[in-house]
Amino acid sequence: MKRWHWRYWPLKAKLLFLTLFTSTLGIVLVCASLIAVENQNYREQLESELHVIAGILAEQSAAALLFEDHEQLSSILSSLRKIETIKQACVFSASGTLMNSLYSSGDTDCPSLSEQPPVGFVGNYYRLSQPVTLYEDTVGYIYLISHLEVLKAHIQTFIFLAMGIGGLIQLILVFVAFRLQRLVSQPILELSRAAERISLAHDYTIRAPVYGKDELGRLGRTFNDMIGTIEQQNLRILESRDSLERTVEERTSQLSLANKELEAFSYSVSHDLRQPLRAIEGFGRALEEDCEDVLDDTGKDHLRRIRAASVRMAGLIDGLLVLSRVSRQPMESERLNLSEMLEEIAEELSDLSEPLPTELRIQPDIWVAGDGRMLRIAFQNLLENAWKYSAKESSRVIEVSATSDAGYITIAIQDNGVGFDMRYVDKLFVAFNRLHTPSEFGGTGIGLATVNRVILRHHGSISASSEVGKGARFAVCLPVPAADRLHSVESNS
Amino acid sequence: MRSEYEIKAAYFYNFTQFVSWTPTPDSELPLRVCVLGENPFGDLLQPLAGRKSQGRTLELVNPEDLSTAAGCHVLFVSSSNLRNLPAVISMAEKGQMLTISELPGFVDAGGIIGYVKQGNIIRFEINLQAADAAGVSINSRLLELASRVIQ
Repeated sequence: MKRWHWRYWPLKAKLLFLTLFTSTLGIVLVCASLIAVENQNYREQLESELHVIAGILAEQSAAALLFEDHEQLSSILSSLRKIETIKQACVFSASGTLMNSLYSSGDTDCPSLSEQPPVGFVGNYYRLSQPVTLYEDTVGYIYLISHLEVLKAHIQTFIFLAMGIGGLIQLILVFVAFRLQRLVSQPILELSRAAERISLAHDYTIRAPVYGKDELGRLGRTFNDMIGTIEQQNLRILESRDSLERTVEERTSQLSLANKELEAFSYSVSHDLRQPLRAIEGFGRALEEDCEDVLDDTGKDHLRRIRAASVRMAGLIDGLLVLSRVSRQPMESERLNLSEMLEEIAEELSDLSEPLPTELRIQPDIWVAGDGRMLRIAFQNLLENAWKYSAKESSRVIEVSATSDAGYITIAIQDNGVGFDMRYVDKLFVAFNRLHTPSEFGGTGIGLATVNRVILRHHGSISASSEVGKGARFAVCLPVPAADRLHSVESNS
Repeated sequence: MRSEYEIKAAYFYNFTQFVSWTPTPDSELPLRVCVLGENPFGDLLQPLAGRKSQGRTLELVNPEDLSTAAGCHVLFVSSSNLRNLPAVISMAEKGQMLTISELPGFVDAGGIIGYVKQGNIIRFEINLQAADAAGVSINSRLLELASRVIQ
């Protein structure tokens, strides 16, 4: 049923329907009014004819009435037999006595004049009463009753004729409306077709045909202007995209050039800088060994400081190399058991460092996805830091836990070390920034920058929180691939 | 049922409505209706006095004899005039009178309208020649109703 709803009609059908509805209404109204007018006219004509007949009759029968000559009246009334519509005719004297009648039989008697007989269109007959006068004296009455069959037949014929002509006109109008609705619907349809083609093919060079100077023409022109504007904008977008691509290419090539330079730099740092360092360090040691008795205590101290500085510089160079490597090298992605990795790192650390009662709690089966080598560098740094900054405590407590939610896993590393001042938390992950003096804790200042770089390359984030003297807490947030969500560790808070 | 003379009196008035005189008299003048001789109607004609026929007021006169009948327009010749009928008719013709009578053979004798009885229906005869001679023209409607017309 809904398909027949007006909204679902095509435009052509709507226009056709509207025009035909209007024309049909017009034709029907015209036919109806014509029929009404014809009916009225015919009635009036019938009335006037009958009045004329009655007048003639009255004229003829006046004398016969006066002299009460029934034969004469009969012959006068007989002349009415020629008129088919007359059903009955009665002649009364002035006193109302029935003098003579035509077609009067038992069931259709002439009415009595004592009460006013009906006149006009009553039922299926037209009745009239006509006084017979002679020199202004009323000498009798004539009462005529006429059939309306002729009128009815005439009106019926007229109705059929009107309906026939109306139908014919309607047929012609259907044809005309069919041709004319195109005038309106054609431009609209072409416009909508053009719009469809444009939206399907994204071809903004297409233009809708424009007809005339009316609203449809204006619509077409406006539409074309709009498409023109879109075309221009599209061109500009494409141009800017091209220029953007060119810019990206430029930047990429610049970047790759810079990367190459950086690589060359790292290379030269790793080789060319190490060479003189090794020389400084080697000759320093040689100087210490060979010229020990020549140097006084001050000289020896200088020499020791030179050697320590060169060792620290070697560490710095190594750190820089690692940082540049984690920034540059291509990433692989695999599922890793972070818990196992952390256990290994902790084992190495406990082998290296001075013994201190250490309590290490690592939550088992923390699974992450990422590049194994890089993540190892990152978590190695983090664990080293936890180890290093808790070295001055009476006992070391390090806890690694993981919570996961909404496609992310957060690994928290909590120590009980010296911590740091939250005012400087922004500087924490920037290279060469150190919150502690080298005399307190050794370090290059590159470690956390490297960690940050690795975590960023894994599309994760890192944050730190601490209070001075109450240990630090580093939280690493890593995305979990959709396939691994099932393996993600339940929160055990 | 109306009596014979009631009908005749009614006819008498009706006749006056279907005749006209040439030249046409002034309609302001009364139409003088005379009964010559014995009045057989009694007072049945009295209602006619003052009535109008063709716009003229009827005036009833009962002249004694022919000499006093001058100026009548309609003359009822009663049965008592049977003997001097030719004189009455010639005088009436000169005076352009419409002569009416119930005498048998009145129209054949030169009268204009004569009552006849057919069974118990009262009819009348018309002598058109006499009417023409008197300058009285009779309406064809009346002629149609006459039982006999002498051309």
